[in-house]
Amino acid sequence: MKKWLIMILTLALGLLGLAGCSSSDETSSDGKVEITYGFWDKKQVPAIEEIIKLFNEKNPDIKVKTELTPYAQYFQKLETAATGGALPDVLWMNGPHVVQYAKGKVILPLSDMAKKDDYSFDNYPKSLIDLYTVDEEVYGIPKDFDTTGLWYNKKIFDEAGVPYPDDTWDWNKLKEVATKLTNKDKGIWGYAALMGNQGGYYDFIWQNGGHIISEDGKSVGFDQPEAIEALKYNISFIEDGLSPTQAQMTETAASELFSSGKIAMMFDGPWMVPEYKKNPDLNVAVVPKGKQRAVAIHGLSNVIAANTKHKEAAWKFVQFLGSKEAAEVYANTGTVIPAYNGTQDAWLQSVPNLNLKAFIDGVDYSVPLPSVENTGEIWQYETDILKKAWSEEESVEDAVKELTKKANEALSNN
Amino acid sequence: MKRRSSFFSLFSLKGGSIVKEIPLQVEVNAKRRKLKVPNLSKTRKRSDFFWAYLMIAPTMLGLLVFYLWPILQTIYFSFTEWGAFGQYEWTGLDNYKRMVDDANLLQSFKNTGIYILFTVPIGIFLSILVAVLLNQKIKGKSVYRTLYFLPVITMPAAIAMVWRWLYNSDYGLLNYLLSLIGIKGPQWVSDPKIALYSIIVVAIWSGIGYNVVIFLSGLQGIPKTYYEAAEIDGAGPIKVFFKITLPLLSPVIFFVTIMSFIGAFQVFDLIFMMIGKGSTALEKTQSIVYLFYQHAFVLNDKGYAAAIAVLLLIIILIITAIQMVLQKKWVHYD
Amino acid sequence: MEKTRQLVTSKTLLIHIILIVGAVAMVLPFIWMFLTSLKTYAESIHVPPVIIPKDFQWENYKEVFTLLPFFKFMLNTLIVTVLRTAGQLFLCSLAAYAFARIEFPGRNVLFLVALSVLMVPGQVFLLPQYMIMVKIGWLNTLQAVVVPGLFSAFGTFLLRQFFMGLPKELEEAARLDGCNHFQIYWRVMLPLAKPGLVALGIFTTLWSWNELMWPMIVNSSPESMTLSVGLSSLQGQYLTNYPVLMAGSFLAIVPMLILFMILQKQFIEGIAITGGK
Repeated sequence: MKKWLIMILTLALGLLGLAGCSSSDETSSDGKVEITYGFWDKKQVPAIEEIIKLFNEKNPDIKVKTELTPYAQYFQKLETAATGGALPDVLWMNGPHVVQYAKGKVILPLSDMAKKDDYSFDNYPKSLIDLYTVDEEVYGIPKDFDTTGLWYNKKIFDEAGVPYPDDTWDWNKLKEVATKLTNKDKGIWGYAALMGNQGGYYDFIWQNGGHIISEDGKSVGFDQPEAIEALKYNISFIEDGLSPTQAQMTETAASELFSSGKIAMMFDGPWMVPEYKKNPDLNVAVVPKGKQRAVAIHGLSNVIAANTKHKEAAWKFVQFLGSKEAAEVYANTGTVIPAYNGTQDAWLQSVPNLNLKAFIDGVDYSVPLPSVENTGEIWQYETDILKKAWSEEESVEDAVKELTKKANEALSNN
Repeated sequence: MKRRSSFFSLFSLKGGSIVKEIPLQVEVNAKRRKLKVPNLSKTRKRSDFFWAYLMIAPTMLGLLVFYLWPILQTIYFSFTEWGAFGQYEWTGLDNYKRMVDDANLLQSFKNTGIYILFTVPIGIFLSILVAVLLNQKIKGKSVYRTLYFLPVITMPAAIAMVWRWLYNSDYGLLNYLLSLIGIKGPQWVSDPKIALYSIIVVAIWSGIGYNVVIFLSGLQGIPKTYYEAAEIDGAGPIKVFFKITLPLLSPVIFFVTIMSFIGAFQVFDLIFMMIGKGSTALEKTQSIVYLFYQHAFVLNDKGYAAAIAVLLLIIILIITAIQMVLQKKWVHYD
Repeated sequence: MEKTRQLVTSKTLLIHIILIVGAVAMVLPFIWMFLTSLKTYAESIHVPPVIIPKDFQWENYKEVFTLLPFFKFMLNTLIVTVLRTAGQLFLCSLAAYAFARIEFPGRNVLFLVALSVLMVPGQVFLLPQYMIMVKIGWLNTLQAVVVPGLFSAFGTFLLRQFFMGLPKELEEAARLDGCNHFQIYWRVMLPLAKPGLVALGIFTTLWSWNELMWPMIVNSSPESMTLSVGLSSLQGQYLTNYPVLMAGSFLAIVPMLILFMILQKQFIEGIAITGGK
């Protein structure tokens, strides 16, 4: 009988113990402050841990606990965390969401704190600072930036006797080479026409002279002839059998097909470097031009949660994250292109056999990712509606008509 | 002293012998107590109430906080609309009006309906078939039972993974096997026209074992005397099945049907894990609960999601009511 | 005589054939899962498919552990399952005993109220339960998964049925010997209700181990995820590297598989009972 009593007591203790374990003690007894750092890319964990180590050399009394959440759940989790006042103290923010979070007063404006500590925003590209400025206040310190590159598989080119991509390439050339390299018997596709906006159809639309969101932020440009033409070009690779179909790419990821040598070319960002560098057959070139050159530019920033209990510690950490030292860690490990001016060279050298310069060149003709308060909603419409065009179930014209209607409605709610 | 030992002596005995011992002791004790009964009843009743409330307290409180109150809250939320970061405001019947025009919702009803229509009858039919076969005099029953039960103890997430792989249009085993006999396999999980049926197959596959066990136990509860009588009368196996087995199994069949129906109505896991978000098959496979999840936790449209939940509630209540009526009419009890 | 024996064997043969076909269909996916988990990515997407991999890539299993805190997932799921099951068994049987055996005012009303929960589909509870977790800061904790599952109308109902079927004489004797209700419950009823407890225990264990939606909603950070949720996030993170995904899936089902092998009889009996009642 006593055995049962003991079991119940252990149960109860266990429950209490759990309750104790999971609610993290923010200030432990030895006077240390603990802050949490939320982000989503697992590939960047080694670099981040290195940066934290360096940070602790100067600030040994601030402990940083990392919180990795896969991208698919990241903003969802933030939404509810914000409601319950449980955001990480410092966290990653991206362009599409910053307006919503700033206006919702969920993250802190940094301009005043920067002024007080003489922290200069001139060390970063202006376009990135602008991306994270809402109502004249800067909310995030830029961490990195990325553009788009044309990744290709050298082996497939060699076997077909075709010269590698260079900066003379345009839309016609891309199509021509994709046709030459597509080999049904070997199961190789020339170009993966992935459905994605950044590094995908946004780039094509801009290259054709179109726009995504108008200057006044009241309408989208998907139904303009330039955009329709660009989307049609994008999808034509699937229609002509040069690219896996939308269904195939949903079942088996294009990036994996690319790493395994089943795709000759595809657009992708510098964040794939840690992954693609493992395959010596892969390299990258600048994206072909349309009527003009254009690639999307975007960069993440570090922001501070409005309900943080450790504003000082968080600010110290954010400053360090934006420092030259931290930038160099990112650069040397080839993880991402750091935003801090002048540190990009180290990144270029990090993987010498890859033509990483293609990404840096892109900055000159880059267009920032459009960002409004309900960017997330518009992106959802894009996915839900454009996938019908991508699966060739609906014409591009019909799809953009529906998309424009829904997106404009959403914009008018701002 | 004597009483205590008599009490404990009950526990050293097992099974039927306890029952034999008790009447004597109880009678003796009762006779001794008869005089004192009136006095004890008041304190006994109070102690009864005390213990009763104490014992049901944790469960009832828990049910109240986590289940009963939430029902009211969800109904309340269904009349609100939610903004970012958890703010919401009263919007009356807006959500319900929106439901009427929502093509996606209507489609999800159709999807769920088709799902139920195929999964429940086919699943039950196959389960009964297997159960009846297993109930025959054959060797290796427990081996079969284990094998059929394997999918039941496997988590839906893992089931979805492996079937997704089997169904892969280009590299999956299924289409390869089909290609061996010259058929070009379809896109099982990406083609909007057949994706739902692919999922139905998996649902049936993973649910058979569970119902087989229930039916088997039901079959074993049918007294052998019926079968013996039928054999004497010279009835063939088919006749036996329809005239004896089926009617006597009907309470179990009824129970399983209702449970399967309600379960199928709430399908989520399989669809969530097997259909890619960028696939056009999504609209033709989304179940009502999937849509609920989508609105509640992806689109952050919690008011509308609550309205969907209320709709689900009403439907299930109606089904339960129908079930109670039908039970009286159709089920044969001994 | 000869004829009947021949009929019997051909009938048995037919039965076996049908059952074997079904059994193969049941097991084939698992075999394929295991085989795929040992292939390289290239082998897995090779056309025609490679049935048996050339070299067994046990690294895929290691990869699963480096990609995600798989041990943590297993531990979390174990804790959640054990706590929920033990908690439910205790709390439900406690309430069930009171409802079955003690006469007190409001007994029938309260029981009906508890039963009404059974008629409500789970999604109706989700949003408010979620908001509760947000408000008390239990997001991304194990207690968020465990606590709501400690209280079950189904368990109470099932066990009440059980208690009502037990002979009353035992309790009478115990009462007359001066035991209070808790002692009666503890010493008399509980041991006798073992089959019911086992049934509920198995049922709850199975359901806790496999649950996806609720744990997914409350736990999005990898440290507090359970196996189901972790597996589904593996799919998101590692996209479609099937060998690794298969390795992860296989690891996820092995513990329950082992438990099942050991407690087969109890599993089957338990399911049969919950179905029967």
